[in-house]
Amino acid sequence: MPATSERTAPQTTSPATAPRTVSGITKVPPRRRWRPNWIKIVSSLGILVAWEVVVRAGQISPLILPSPLSLIETMWAMVISGLLFKHVGISLYRFAVGFLLGSALGIVLGLLAGSIRWVGDLIDPWVAALYPIPKSALFPLFMMWFGLGDRSKIVTIFTGVIFLVLVNTVTGVKGINPVLLKAAKDLGANRFQLFRKVILPGALPNVFTGLRLGAGIGLILLFITEIEATKAGLGFLLWESYQLMQVKQGFVAVVTFGILGVLATWALQAFERVVCPYR
Amino acid sequence: MPPILEIRNVTKTWMRERTGETVLALDGIDLTVVRGEFLILLGPSGCGKSTLLQIVGDLEHPSSGAFTFTGQAGGRKPTTMVFQEYALFPWRTVLDNIAFGPEMRGVVRQERYESARRYIQLVHLDGFENRYPHELSGGMKQRVALARALNNDPDMVLFDEPLAALDAQTRRVLQNELVRIWQATGKTFIYVTHSLDEAILLGDRVVVMTARPGRIKEIVLLAMHRPRALTRPAEVQALERLENLLKEEVTRALAEEESDARHE
Repeated sequence: MPATSERTAPQTTSPATAPRTVSGITKVPPRRRWRPNWIKIVSSLGILVAWEVVVRAGQISPLILPSPLSLIETMWAMVISGLLFKHVGISLYRFAVGFLLGSALGIVLGLLAGSIRWVGDLIDPWVAALYPIPKSALFPLFMMWFGLGDRSKIVTIFTGVIFLVLVNTVTGVKGINPVLLKAAKDLGANRFQLFRKVILPGALPNVFTGLRLGAGIGLILLFITEIEATKAGLGFLLWESYQLMQVKQGFVAVVTFGILGVLATWALQAFERVVCPYR
Repeated sequence: MPPILEIRNVTKTWMRERTGETVLALDGIDLTVVRGEFLILLGPSGCGKSTLLQIVGDLEHPSSGAFTFTGQAGGRKPTTMVFQEYALFPWRTVLDNIAFGPEMRGVVRQERYESARRYIQLVHLDGFENRYPHELSGGMKQRVALARALNNDPDMVLFDEPLAALDAQTRRVLQNELVRIWQATGKTFIYVTHSLDEAILLGDRVVVMTARPGRIKEIVLLAMHRPRALTRPAEVQALERLENLLKEEVTRALAEEESDARHE
């Protein structure tokens, strides 16, 4: 807010006139009005129109690349029949459980590892050993350990999420300005309060970075784990479409994955605005 | 005037990590702080004045020696520090930053906000209660930090070069504000600075420290009435005296820094 800081500056240099200046500033700055960005709109619509035209003109076979309008039609039919929601619901369950457990444990362990030396030393070797392993490579192992059902899929997503959240949370804790910890102690904070009132809020911006990355990895792992050993879920729908050469249905599944990704990002952004309103 | 703090033979040694040699930072500090005074710790950089302040504020431990506070109420920590870097919590509004101390003690919300609002008025920040630190200028941030320290209700407020990061105009305004607030609250202020002007404008007494190892070279009493002006004869005279005391130490401190740099 450059305009505000410019006007607040004189306040400190002339306290005598402060109240007058202050009352002028306390008004909430007007929200920037939303204006349509025509270039973006033309660009995105243009792609779709060009796509539709190329397919209709017979340049590309609809069996390979269905036109956008026919895809909307197919998607609508799948929504009406309840087929899409059935698959989305099952996928969402697997994703949500894996993501929530992974991020909750990742945050707690990250806060502890970042702020307590011996906990960090305890966890560090495990993180160093397991973090670089592609978590999709663990899925076959997890199927042997946890069976073919939801559990092995959830555990795979969980491992993908927990490391990203943990590593980023540790970075956040280590990045807290030491003078803030000093000041908090000086003002009488005990160990628990230091944790709750300084370390947690101080690490939050990095925690959210971890959550965003974790959500991305989680969706990738969701797809990979649903290829195998299941008869439901978006990944299954997509894989089955390939095996039956149902290109339209496959496209719909891909688009739905994209929508889930966007929704997850939005939800996290909204959550961050509530939890970290100062940013 | 009754003493509030007695420092007896305090020393502090550091271990240089690279070379393993020990450095004597503070040597045999004896000092009695009087209740309600505005005491300046003045010295060249590296003389240990900040270390002494941190020891008084219980943020560092002395290597030997003792210090005792007298007459503080309720067994609470008698000091609160104002840092040069403001040290405001960026995720807290001005009001919540100022209410931090009482919040840690379990004071209920309404009560701690009430006292926070009083200090917001005292430091002239009315209307900024719900701003976040990043929305404030440096001078305003330091006002918040001062209000936060006062709202913690210590007997003694410790200042570690609080105005060093500010521009000259803002610094001058805040120097006057500090005197006004010190007079209004009646608290004891211990104030570390390397600025002669600041020492003259603010202090009741100026403790001039030597270059490393930090010892007390002389304690100068400033009896000029307030508000002070650097152009008045009494102030000019005091300035000259402090300057003479400090000149030698600054030269020595620079020579030492140079030899340190050569050894490393």
